Amino acid sequence: MIPLVGLLAGIVIGIVLEPSIPQILQPYLPIAIVAAMDALFGAFRAYLEGIFTDRVFIVSFISNVLIASAIVYVGDQIGVGSQLATGVVVVLGIRIFTNAAAIRRALFHA
Amino acid sequence: MDLLNQIIRQPIDPDYALTAAVGSQEPRGRWKLGVLAMIIGALFAVAALQTTRAAPAQQSERSELISRIQAAEREQDQLRGRVTSLTEEIATLRAAALGDDDVARSVESEISTLDPVVGNAAVSGPGVLMVVDDSPSASEDARDRVLDIDLQVLTNGLWEAGAEAISINGHRLSNLTAIRSAGDAITVDYRSLTRPYRVEAIGDVRTLQARFVESSAGAWWNDLAQNRQMRYEISDVKQLDLAADPGIVLRHAGRAAS
Repeated sequence: MIPLVGLLAGIVIGIVLEPSIPQILQPYLPIAIVAAMDALFGAFRAYLEGIFTDRVFIVSFISNVLIASAIVYVGDQIGVGSQLATGVVVVLGIRIFTNAAAIRRALFHA
Repeated sequence: MDLLNQIIRQPIDPDYALTAAVGSQEPRGRWKLGVLAMIIGALFAVAALQTTRAAPAQQSERSELISRIQAAEREQDQLRGRVTSLTEEIATLRAAALGDDDVARSVESEISTLDPVVGNAAVSGPGVLMVVDDSPSASEDARDRVLDIDLQVLTNGLWEAGAEAISINGHRLSNLTAIRSAGDAITVDYRSLTRPYRVEAIGDVRTLQARFVESSAGAWWNDLAQNRQMRYEISDVKQLDLAADPGIVLRHAGRAAS
């Protein structure tokens, strides 16, 4: 319950306050969001399987976002930023899909 | 493929299973989760807002640039008009200053012979009109487009065939005129042209067209029309009016020997 309320509160805060992201960080925002979605779906699946832990979720979320952004940053420096961003999105996308399918099976038994 | 298989087989963090096996669930720390969820929500909202904001901003930036270009072009037109009227004023003043003796009359007649040739005076008379354009398949193959060199060859061929005055899309050519490519457009005197290209040339109608077709420029354009399907039309016109080239400036002046 708390995470859901937090999520909604975050969306409202984001819309109302409109915090401005520094120009340097802007290219990494979409990648960070994909990484965050991956962590969210993984956490929800772990919760359904009864093995959810706050600490693991927080650590996995932060490291996911940082590593994904770092990969894209390094890619930008060596000129393959968009390709590496695609790679990150593909890998995380596969994980999101797999987790979402598992969540669907656990929730609806279908 | 091993990597993809592993991603699919182990989609959740293995640490969840490890900590669950140890069984060290601490119930405090829920607020951390809430804060993190809030951060994620804020991330979503900010990213969505920025993406929707950026689109109209880019559009307005683009139309702003276009209107600035148009304003600059209008200003350039005005300035060119001013140049023309000032040139006329210069001509009147010059005539007044020269006075009315034999030397003055010979200088005047020399000026009136040279002015139309160098493009400093508006001229009218019979001539040929040529309309050239990219071929219909130009969007597929860049080689099917009219290039600056094609127009250069065309005008040089017209000079060679005996044209006395030439203008392209209303821009009078002098021997200082540059025909260049800039980006996607061809420029004459640094003003971009829009297709199709209308080349007007005043000259002897009896020979101009025939001599042009026989020249190397005629062969060049014949080749472009046949092999690249470019538009290439040439016709005689009884009356053409070509404006003066406003780009001509006085570069050298000396006191007349009296």
